[in-house]
Amino acid sequence: TPHCATPSIPSRSLPARQPANVLEEARTRLHVSSVPESLPCREQEFQDIYSFVESKIIDGTGGCMYISGVPGTGKTATVHEVMRCLQHAADVDEIPPFHFIEINGMKMTDPHQAYVQILQKLTGQKATADHAAALLEKRFSNPAPRKETTVLLVDELDLLWTRKQNVMYNLFDWPTRRHARLVVLTIANTMDLPERIMINRVASRLGLTRMSFQPYSFKQLQQIIMSRLNKVKAFEEDALQLVSRKVAALSGDARRCLDICRRATEICEHSAAEPSATGLVGMSHVMEALNEMFSSAYVTAIKCASVQEQLFLRAVIAEFRRIGLEEATFQQVFVQQQALCRVEGLQPVSVSEGLAVCQRLGACRLLLLEPSRLGVLQRVRLNVSQDDVLFALKAD
Amino acid sequence: MSKRKVTDAHLPVGECITQLQEVLRRRLCCQQLPDRPDGVEAQHKHLLELLRRTAVHGESNSVLIVGPRGAGKTMLLKCVLRDLLEEKEVQKNLLQVHLNGLLQTDDRIALKEITRQLNLENVVGDKVFGSFAENLAFLLEALKKGDRSSSRPVLFVLDEFDLFAHHKNQTLLYNLFDISQSAQAPIAVVGITCRLDVLELLEKRVKSRFSHRQIHLLSSPTFPQYVDRVRTQLSLPDDFPDVKFAEDWKASVKSLCEDKSVEDVLKRHFNSSRDFRSMHMLLMLCLSRVSVSKPAIRPADLLEASRLCFTDSKANMLHGLSILELCLIIAMKHLNDVYEGEPFNLQMVHNEFKKFLQRKSNSMYNFDQPVIMKAFEHLQQLELIRPVDSSSAKTQREYQLMRLMLDHSQIMEALQKYPQCPTDVKQWAMSAFA
Repeated sequence: TPHCATPSIPSRSLPARQPANVLEEARTRLHVSSVPESLPCREQEFQDIYSFVESKIIDGTGGCMYISGVPGTGKTATVHEVMRCLQHAADVDEIPPFHFIEINGMKMTDPHQAYVQILQKLTGQKATADHAAALLEKRFSNPAPRKETTVLLVDELDLLWTRKQNVMYNLFDWPTRRHARLVVLTIANTMDLPERIMINRVASRLGLTRMSFQPYSFKQLQQIIMSRLNKVKAFEEDALQLVSRKVAALSGDARRCLDICRRATEICEHSAAEPSATGLVGMSHVMEALNEMFSSAYVTAIKCASVQEQLFLRAVIAEFRRIGLEEATFQQVFVQQQALCRVEGLQPVSVSEGLAVCQRLGACRLLLLEPSRLGVLQRVRLNVSQDDVLFALKAD
Repeated sequence: MSKRKVTDAHLPVGECITQLQEVLRRRLCCQQLPDRPDGVEAQHKHLLELLRRTAVHGESNSVLIVGPRGAGKTMLLKCVLRDLLEEKEVQKNLLQVHLNGLLQTDDRIALKEITRQLNLENVVGDKVFGSFAENLAFLLEALKKGDRSSSRPVLFVLDEFDLFAHHKNQTLLYNLFDISQSAQAPIAVVGITCRLDVLELLEKRVKSRFSHRQIHLLSSPTFPQYVDRVRTQLSLPDDFPDVKFAEDWKASVKSLCEDKSVEDVLKRHFNSSRDFRSMHMLLMLCLSRVSVSKPAIRPADLLEASRLCFTDSKANMLHGLSILELCLIIAMKHLNDVYEGEPFNLQMVHNEFKKFLQRKSNSMYNFDQPVIMKAFEHLQQLELIRPVDSSSAKTQREYQLMRLMLDHSQIMEALQKYPQCPTDVKQWAMSAFA
């Protein structure tokens, strides 16, 4: 292998096409990846993190901060924005220069790889995990002239958990050293993570500087979309409000919101046969996108199943009602199915065929099955509610 | 030109049959792509548009194709890719990575495979260098350096997507979805799965990064459509060399589809399952009976093929048992009736059998204990009976509890067809009391 390989994807022959119309423009802006310069609705959190890191840099001390919140609430994006602003401030000599590195628990194969990545990002050196840990230990505990403050962002902190918790312990212990000048910002999803998985000496080193990101409310989601669109007029007001209300009621995840809007522009573009009066994305398009992304397919799947599969589901419910439990063996259900076949005037099925029907339903998870080696003795449970099955079978 | 066409319009029959077999077998067994996917036009259009936007505009996307087995998920994707690659701009740019959950059973293997298929710099020949962690870092670095407008878009196809969700920490899925949601090299992630509850398998942060686009392949053809499909599957292409033969074949297929008994058979298959693969199986069994002496599919062939498809495997196994083994099975059936499915052991079965022998004066079936034990073990090997708990070493074999793995209907059916079954055994099986 080449020693100093430069990892890269080959470049394309022609540059990518630029968006041609309003809807395409809107779609580009609504893509989750096009993060705006300043995040709306996170001003308070931005300010808190900014002042925390700024004070540490100016004082030349170190510290830890723990940031939590459900996915899609702008945690990583806010921290990145803070760092961009601080970098800018450092460039114009308002604050002393500093070093920013980030690691992500999910992008490592093993918690101990954290040492390797930190070392590589600090000095460009390659080392094994143990060696890297020793080098970092030395670096952070010994005084050195002209040392810059290092800001370390640790994303997906819960993945760094090991049984002895030495990775987390080190990460939170280094900032307490006198000469370290290390600021550690950690991000995870659950608020009570330090109490839940960390042993006392680790949790106490993490300290009490905590911040939690609340899920977005519908007003905030609406504002986010508006700021992304930035005067590109592609949506009707009501349509935007519907999306943001729906998403806020469910999860408050901004990613979901943007994805639905993006899907709605596609639907709008392809329903060109009957364009809405204004040529904008209207209520009907948004409704369709919402249905597509939130609805579960179980009912449709049952409706589309073959006659024998539907009969089998009915037999399962009939058997459940008879025995009063939510679980039955295939043999019991099969008796019911034979009876139903006779009622419906169909040719009765053989056991092999009945098992095949059962396995097909199990493969798409309408039923939960035991391993098929058990043959007629395997137990059958429903993975959908009985009401859903009855609704799907009755509707036609 | 026209003269030549006339001359080779009459190939010998053997040649025609060979050609016919070749054409149809490629369609039925090798899953040859159809010219147009029928019944899934909307899904085809959606997927084609999505992938084209990735290839042309550099937009990152993720999508899941969900549908029951044999519903044509891979066929849809392959059709879309074929149509997409007809465009020159796409052909030159799109990089493809195909992964399968059954082959790439953990992230380490999957990552090597990705690196190999992308032909990154740490690949020499066919071998990928570096440790797992280095590979991951290298790949992420490579994708991170790319950007929307200048680097080539990458299409990741994850077949058996649900198996990737069982990898440790779902690292691979997290990273792929994260790249598709951030300003890095444009990628499209297409997952193919048959599980309807696949989203519940994903971790919260992985799920949040997935775009929640799902393409469901849940079509329900009506019976006339099903018959139509049988007809098109059996039809010969227009460029078949022998015109005369092609016409004869077409007529025979037409008359086949209009036959009443054939309709009944197809209806039964239609009721049982609507996926295409089982239909292909049925047609394949018919096709294998076409020969020079019999150059058309007759209704009888279809009936025979259907009988083969629907035969009960366990009842067939019962036909091959000896009388003693059959008697043991009948004794077990009576035990099941009397004790309502409670497990039994060899001694109980033997006692039941002895009761039968006592009622009959002739001692034709008076076997010794070891012989009966041997028969019992044979039944266990065939998995017609199965121990209740697997800790077989602890208890003696005579006292180990067993369950019968057969339905009563299977036993009765097998008895009817058993060659030269003694009358008294039959009567014993029929009688309600043991």
